[in-house]
Amino acid sequence: MNPKKLGRAVLVALPFLVVLILALVLAGTLSDRLPGRLATHFSATGEANGYTGRTTFLVLTALVPALLGACWTYMAVRGRFHGRAYDGFTAAGYATAAFFGYLTTVTLFANVDTADGAPGATFTMWHLVGAFGSAAVAAALGYFLARLLPALPDDPEAAAAREGARIPLADGEVAGWVRSMASWWLPGTALAMVLAGVVLTFALRPVTGLPLMVIGLVLLPYSRPNVTVDRRGLIVSGLLPWPRVHVPLERIDTATSRNVKAVAEYGGWGYRVRATRSGVITRSGEAIVARLENGRDFAVTVDDSATGAALLNTLVDRRRGRS
Amino acid sequence: MLFRVDPSSSVPLGDQIAACVRRAVSDGSVAPGERLPAARALADSLGVNVHTALRGYQRLREEGLIELRRGRGAVVTAGASPHRARLLEGVRAVVAEARELGLAEGDLLDLVRAELNA
Repeated sequence: MNPKKLGRAVLVALPFLVVLILALVLAGTLSDRLPGRLATHFSATGEANGYTGRTTFLVLTALVPALLGACWTYMAVRGRFHGRAYDGFTAAGYATAAFFGYLTTVTLFANVDTADGAPGATFTMWHLVGAFGSAAVAAALGYFLARLLPALPDDPEAAAAREGARIPLADGEVAGWVRSMASWWLPGTALAMVLAGVVLTFALRPVTGLPLMVIGLVLLPYSRPNVTVDRRGLIVSGLLPWPRVHVPLERIDTATSRNVKAVAEYGGWGYRVRATRSGVITRSGEAIVARLENGRDFAVTVDDSATGAALLNTLVDRRRGRS
Repeated sequence: MLFRVDPSSSVPLGDQIAACVRRAVSDGSVAPGERLPAARALADSLGVNVHTALRGYQRLREEGLIELRRGRGAVVTAGASPHRARLLEGVRAVVAEARELGLAEGDLLDLVRAELNA
C-alpha cells in the first residue's frame, strides 16, 4: 500500500476508532454502576420498553464500530475512487460513526445507577435530534479533512477519453443523438407485475394486488427508455418526458464507450446507485460511461454507445471552449 | 441515430433533419422497424420548433422512408433499405442540378421518361 492510500485509510478509520475507544473506556469505568439488564429500547414518551443484557450491550458497543470501521477502511483501500468521490464517502463514514457513538453513549448514561429491571432509565427523544446533529457535524468535519488531502489522480481510462474520438461539428451546428434501449425484460417485467397484481386483487384481496399493479403501471412507460445526448447533456427518459434521469453537460468531465458488467459493477439491473457509480443498466455490454466532475461514474447501457460518447465529449469540449 | 442541423445554413432546418435520417438509413446505422424520436422530443433536443421537426418527418413519409403513427411516433418502414435511401439522395441531386440549369419541370420529367424507356 502506498503512503497516500495509507493516509486515506487512516482518515476513514479514525472516527470508528474514536468511537471504539470511547466505548471501551465507558465500559471500563461505568460497568460497576450499570444494572445487569440495560434499558435499550424506549417508547416515544421516553420510557424503557426493551432490555438487553449488560455484557451483550457492552460487547456490541465495541464490536459494531470495529466492524463498520473495518468495512469502511476496506472500501477506502480497495474501492475504485477517482477525483473527489472519496470525500463524500469519508463524510458518510464520519456521520455513521458519530450517530452510533452518540446513541450508545447516551443509552449507557441513561442506565447508570438504575436498579436492575426497575423502570428507572428514561430517554428523551431530543437525543435523536442530538444524534442527527452530531452526525451532521461529524460529516462536515470528515468532508473538510478529506478535502485537505489532494484529489486522487485521474485513471488512465478518463485520460484516454480526453484524447478519444470526437464528432467534428461546424460552428453553430447543433447535434443530438437519440437511441432507444431495446430490452425484452423491461416490458416483460412491467406486464408481469400488472398481471400478477390483477390476479392477486381478485384471488386474494386488493391490498395485496393493488401495489403490484400500481408499480407495474408506473414501470410500463419505461419499457423502451430513450437515451439522448444533446446540448442539454445525457438524458434517459421513458415514453413520457417526465420523470427522467438527466445529467447536464456541466457536470460531465469525459465520456467513454466500454463494456459494463451489470452484476459485478452495478449489483443488478435497473436504475442503480452504488458508492462510486450510478447508472441505468438493462444488460451487461456496451454502455456510455460518463465520468462526472465529482469523480463518480454514470453509465447507460445502449447500442452504438461509441457515437453517443463521442458526441458527448464533443459537446463537453465545446462548452468548455466557450466558458 | 445522430441528428445534426446548422441553423446558419441556407437549407431549411426541416430538410436538414430529413437529410440526417436519409443518411442514417443509407449508411445502415438505422434499420427498418427502428423507432425515431417523437417530433416533440427531437425538437426539444435540437432546440428547433416542433413544426420544423414535423415538416422534416412529413417529407420522409412522402418519400416512403418512415411511417408516422399517432401516439407511436415515427417508425422506419420495412421498405426503407439503404439502397432506396441512396436512390432518393440521387433523385434529390438530379432535381437540384436541373433547377440550377433552369430546366422546367416538364423537361426534366421528359428526360427521366426517355431514360426509363431506353
